[in-house]
Amino acid sequence: MDMSFSAEEELFREEVRTWLGEHLVGDFARLRGRGGLGDMDAFVEERIAWEQELGRGGWTGLAWSKESGGRGASLVEQVIFLEEYARSRAPGRAGHIGEGLLGPTVAAFGTDAQKARFLAPILAGTEIWCQGYSEPNAGSDLAALQTRAVRDGDNWVIDGQKVWTSLAMVSQWCFVLARTGAGSSRHEGISCLLVRMDQPGVRVVPIRQMTGNAEFAEVFFDGATTPVDHVVGPVDGGWKVAMHTLAHERGASTLGQQADFTNELRALVQVAKDNGAANDPGIRDRLAELWMRLKVMRLTALRTLSAHDRGELPREAMITKLFWATWHRDLGELAMDVLGPDAAVLREGHDHDLHRLFLWTRSDTIYAGTNEIQKNLIAQRALGMPR
Amino acid sequence: MRFSFTEEQRQMRDALRSSLTESCPSGRVRAAWKTPDAALRIELAEQGILAINLPEDAGGLGLGAQDWVLLAEELGLVAAPVNLIETLATNPTLAAIGALDLASQVGTGAEFVALEEPGGFALDADKAAGILAVRDGRVGWLRDATLIAETSVDGTRRPFKVDGRFEAVDADATDLLDRAALVAAAELVGLSRRMLDLAVEYSKSRRQFGKPIGSFQAVQHHLVDALQRIAFAAPAVYRAAWSVDTNHPNRSVHVSMAKVYASEAALFTGRKALQVHGAIGYTFEYDLHMWMKRAWTLSSAWGDVRHHTDRVGQFVMSGGQDA
Repeated sequence: MDMSFSAEEELFREEVRTWLGEHLVGDFARLRGRGGLGDMDAFVEERIAWEQELGRGGWTGLAWSKESGGRGASLVEQVIFLEEYARSRAPGRAGHIGEGLLGPTVAAFGTDAQKARFLAPILAGTEIWCQGYSEPNAGSDLAALQTRAVRDGDNWVIDGQKVWTSLAMVSQWCFVLARTGAGSSRHEGISCLLVRMDQPGVRVVPIRQMTGNAEFAEVFFDGATTPVDHVVGPVDGGWKVAMHTLAHERGASTLGQQADFTNELRALVQVAKDNGAANDPGIRDRLAELWMRLKVMRLTALRTLSAHDRGELPREAMITKLFWATWHRDLGELAMDVLGPDAAVLREGHDHDLHRLFLWTRSDTIYAGTNEIQKNLIAQRALGMPR
Repeated sequence: MRFSFTEEQRQMRDALRSSLTESCPSGRVRAAWKTPDAALRIELAEQGILAINLPEDAGGLGLGAQDWVLLAEELGLVAAPVNLIETLATNPTLAAIGALDLASQVGTGAEFVALEEPGGFALDADKAAGILAVRDGRVGWLRDATLIAETSVDGTRRPFKVDGRFEAVDADATDLLDRAALVAAAELVGLSRRMLDLAVEYSKSRRQFGKPIGSFQAVQHHLVDALQRIAFAAPAVYRAAWSVDTNHPNRSVHVSMAKVYASEAALFTGRKALQVHGAIGYTFEYDLHMWMKRAWTLSSAWGDVRHHTDRVGQFVMSGGQDA
């Protein structure tokens, strides 16, 4: 066991830190601390420009293989990058869906032509992606989806509706799960289509959230088209592709959050000290408890990185989403208790950030698989309990 | 950065697991409720475990917390009726004060050194060659001790209220108590794992309404919640072992985290396991209560959740930095 970073790893950390310090300046400086989850609709154009800046610096696709145009960074290097990224309060990534979800899926299942067409613009930050999975009648039960694509010559013609589609308003592309098979039902006969957003058959209607923001949207497909060669993986065999993507959503791509969480908790401790809430032993205990839980999340992530123990780890890895979602919800609630009576009043400054945190964290236990769905999966897969 | 055990460490764990599976079934734990199990200490000594963290010139293996933490977890798994905490905690202290003869006797299982836990009890103090205690932040022997026997909720444990003439020695009290808390934490992780396993197995075989109760979401979610606690307690315990071995400046905070997490995991898992078992789990005849009672005693000993949370709280509120 060695819980310290090697000299080589520290050198990499220094490189990341230096680059961020030199580039988060000028117009980009005001993006610090903005655009994260719960704030994804802030400074979108500027954050896309920042994405391109990252791309020029070689900091996109860190986890991607060199063959896919990525950096092929080790897991430890990825963690270091994410920690430094959060420490510098660099903005939420506008390209995270392309980089974290679609890119790895194309790399795993795509044709050579698809890889050549789609991977480079994600790395360059010139094409933004959104994910067309959830529908009004297919939330936790994704296999109930109804969007349909029908073959017409060299095109698929798509009709249906997606919902809760993050960043749909600014995306050039959407990866859409649609029914393509005759007599398709449940997990059978679904395909994963890559669909251009800028066309007459696609209409995007933003959804206003509890926070007042509109980070996601309804997306209506009414005769939208995409060429037949824009299917990732086998036609009618898209369920497996979709599950692969979700594994990324629920797994490694959440690592960087912990560093953001650390910033949030630190800020809350400061507020508690400033307004005297920290003198309350109950508040202190809860701050300590959240601190411990956050550290444990980090330890679990670090343990996942150490390949040696891999045989023992899937149980812990599966629990990650459930754990951080609940942690973040609790942080939001503690933030309001730290504010005390002021929690009922909206003000600028710290309080404003805490209110946004509180409202946003009402969603953590719902999106990307509700706590209940997570628990069903863990019971069946990690504990081997019967269906 | 390598947060994993070595091949040798895992082999030692596996060897102990297979020997305990054979030698320490639940019937042996149950028997220890009636008659103290003196043989188990000797069996562990023969496997080198009692001397694992003694220096070589006291007949030991000269290993550290990273080497014994998985072994303590295994002993917890089977609720082994043996006082490992005192021995692993006091061994380095005996070495530090130069009591090598006594230490080597402890390593062979011939002698036992008791340690008063901060709650005021010392286990098996009547059979001890000496009783170590911490008073006012100093380590020392309790000489000419008077003992008052108490009855533990866990029938395998024999606690005594102890008092005596305090004879200070030159050893670090915090490190001593941290080691004890860490052994307890590791045992609690093992206890938790077994209680969860018992409940999962029971939920698969017990049928009501025409199906296994493990197919009901209400039951599944109870056990997933327990799994979650355990899965996140274990890394806290393992990291604390590394911090203790490397004299990390935050090692006490890391030990406190481990103890809090492991205690809560064990208490929580016990509650969930009992609920899933229903009435059968509440009987004396069924094994679950022996694991639960060990968990209750270990979670309140060597600093309870309140004590260790407070230690972490002071660190966090004072702006302490920790990666």
